[in-house]
Amino acid sequence: MNAEKDMTEEHGIRRWRFALVLVSFAMLLGVITARLVMLHTVEQSFLFEQGEKRTVRTEAQYASRGVITDRYGQPLAVSTPVTNLWINPRQVTDFPGLAQVATDLGLSPGALVREVETAARQGRAFMYLKRQADPALAAKVLAHGVTGVNADDDFRRFYPAAEVAAHTVGIVNIDGKGQEGIELAFDEYLHGQDGSRQVVKDLHGNVIKQLGVDSVVQAGKDLQLTLDLRLQYLAYRELKAAVQTHQAKSGSAVMLDAKTGEVLAMVSQPSYNPNNRANLNPANMRNRALTDLMEPGSTMKPFTVSAALESGRYTPDTKLDTSPGYIRVRQKTIRDHRNYGVLDLTGVITKSSNVGATKIAHDLGAESMWEYLTRAGFGQSTMTGFPGEAVGQLPYPEEMNDLRLATVSYGYGLAVTPLQLAEAYTSFVDGCRKPASLLLNQEGQDCVPVMSAETAHEMLNMLETVVGLQGTGRRAAVEGYRVGGKTGTAHKVGRSGYEDDEYTAVFAGLAPLTDPDLVLVVVIDEPQGKEYYGGEVAAPVFSRIMGQALRLRQVIPDKPVENQILHLAGGGR
Amino acid sequence: MKLLQAGLWLAVIASALIQVLAVQWHRDLLQEWQQADRKRQTLQQEYSRLVLEKSTLTAHGRIDAEARKRLDMKDPDHTQVFQE
Repeated sequence: MNAEKDMTEEHGIRRWRFALVLVSFAMLLGVITARLVMLHTVEQSFLFEQGEKRTVRTEAQYASRGVITDRYGQPLAVSTPVTNLWINPRQVTDFPGLAQVATDLGLSPGALVREVETAARQGRAFMYLKRQADPALAAKVLAHGVTGVNADDDFRRFYPAAEVAAHTVGIVNIDGKGQEGIELAFDEYLHGQDGSRQVVKDLHGNVIKQLGVDSVVQAGKDLQLTLDLRLQYLAYRELKAAVQTHQAKSGSAVMLDAKTGEVLAMVSQPSYNPNNRANLNPANMRNRALTDLMEPGSTMKPFTVSAALESGRYTPDTKLDTSPGYIRVRQKTIRDHRNYGVLDLTGVITKSSNVGATKIAHDLGAESMWEYLTRAGFGQSTMTGFPGEAVGQLPYPEEMNDLRLATVSYGYGLAVTPLQLAEAYTSFVDGCRKPASLLLNQEGQDCVPVMSAETAHEMLNMLETVVGLQGTGRRAAVEGYRVGGKTGTAHKVGRSGYEDDEYTAVFAGLAPLTDPDLVLVVVIDEPQGKEYYGGEVAAPVFSRIMGQALRLRQVIPDKPVENQILHLAGGGR
Repeated sequence: MKLLQAGLWLAVIASALIQVLAVQWHRDLLQEWQQADRKRQTLQQEYSRLVLEKSTLTAHGRIDAEARKRLDMKDPDHTQVFQE
């Protein structure tokens, strides 16, 4: 006791003061410990999360979109990597640097600086600087090192064939989503799957740690179409020239492989350039060969006549009296171009006699006509899966009175798409209709038997006479090849029934007839001027496309040389 | 007992060192991968550019025009085609 007292006395400090300091230090320690415990237990999860938020970035990785090619691998749509440049306005402090960035991008420096300042005041943290910039340009911009200017990888779609294949291939929007055509129909397949991962980045934007992968990037798959770009090019060129010459409103052409039904070329006019999104006009973006319905006109007659042959009661030489060149059905007069008198079945096709077709249809009856035409694919969908694909119209037998039946027999009162007509014409190859397909190596639908092989063979001979010297489709002839087909001229339907001066000129045909390789349908809508018949407007286009296509496909000419000499002697063009 | 303790201590220190090494290794690999990925991207750019260039140069219309103009070629006449 004494000793203690001595010690305190010795230092001149009272004992309670020592205790006070000790206690206050102990309390401080206690507070710190309590705080530590708090942070490590109660607030741990919150703090951890906040910490992660400040360092871990979720990075999206865009999947590259699959390539669309033609049947030989020629690219029709290709994605190329580009860079999206964007600004976080709140982070921008280096305004002279920003002005330089603007100059590089061809923007007005003043305007950009003002815009960024306004955005920063509004508290915005994201603003596109330039979308889909060339990677080289983006690198140049980033080299300025302006804080707040960022870059993301993206893809841009290019269409090498541009307007030539635009309608079929379609187009994607700026976000890389399919908008039209094949791009829309197979959007998911082409798109693949975007990936995202969690990473920690350093100051320079390099990834230093990959924490996890939410989803792995899966590149889109490639798609091969049945189109042959060479044929597509030449069909487009000839169709465009014809539409311009005749100042037509629109036009389309479809070429099918006669043996398989694969679409080798499908073109429409007017067209558009899918690489330039600035001036897109929806009217030009329609794939008219698939979406527009028309009345086939006389191109229907081969089906009426082949139905007659199939019934077994007719042969190509069966005589029909078409005089006096018109026939009255239910107060309506159906007329021929002129009085053809007695025609055989071949003559009905050659001369395109409405009266002849009407008589045949009345003899066969609505029920069997309907059944036959349905087998040929009329009144149905072509089932290619193309967006906006139109479904044909064919009246049911109950709806077909004598007049309706008569009009259907020569191609009025029903509606088809050009593709549908082409598909139906594939039946004349061997009697079997081959469903049209747009995708290569697609699980093919079986062909639909329409007529016997003998009937088909007889039909080919009849169709050849149309292109002969006596026929309506002389101008569809192709030098060196046996060609067969049928002309058609349909009055267009206007406000008050059929218009007198608006026509659709059609030619549908096959070549070479010895062993048909191609089916081609050409449609010219509302040709202006003196020429408007299918034989005058559509047949020459058919001839030009078919002639070049057969040569490109290296099909051996099947027309004997004698014909050439006769032709020169007789016509002398 | 003492020996076991020392052994455990050693193991702890060794695993700590290995952890550091592993992190470093991970970073190196990531760096490498990033470089490879960047290279892949530039190559893809180059590839798609070349594909586009090729398809422009080999476009049917262009070949047709070049053959006619530059090479002075023409469609053979019917009489010039050899037939059996």
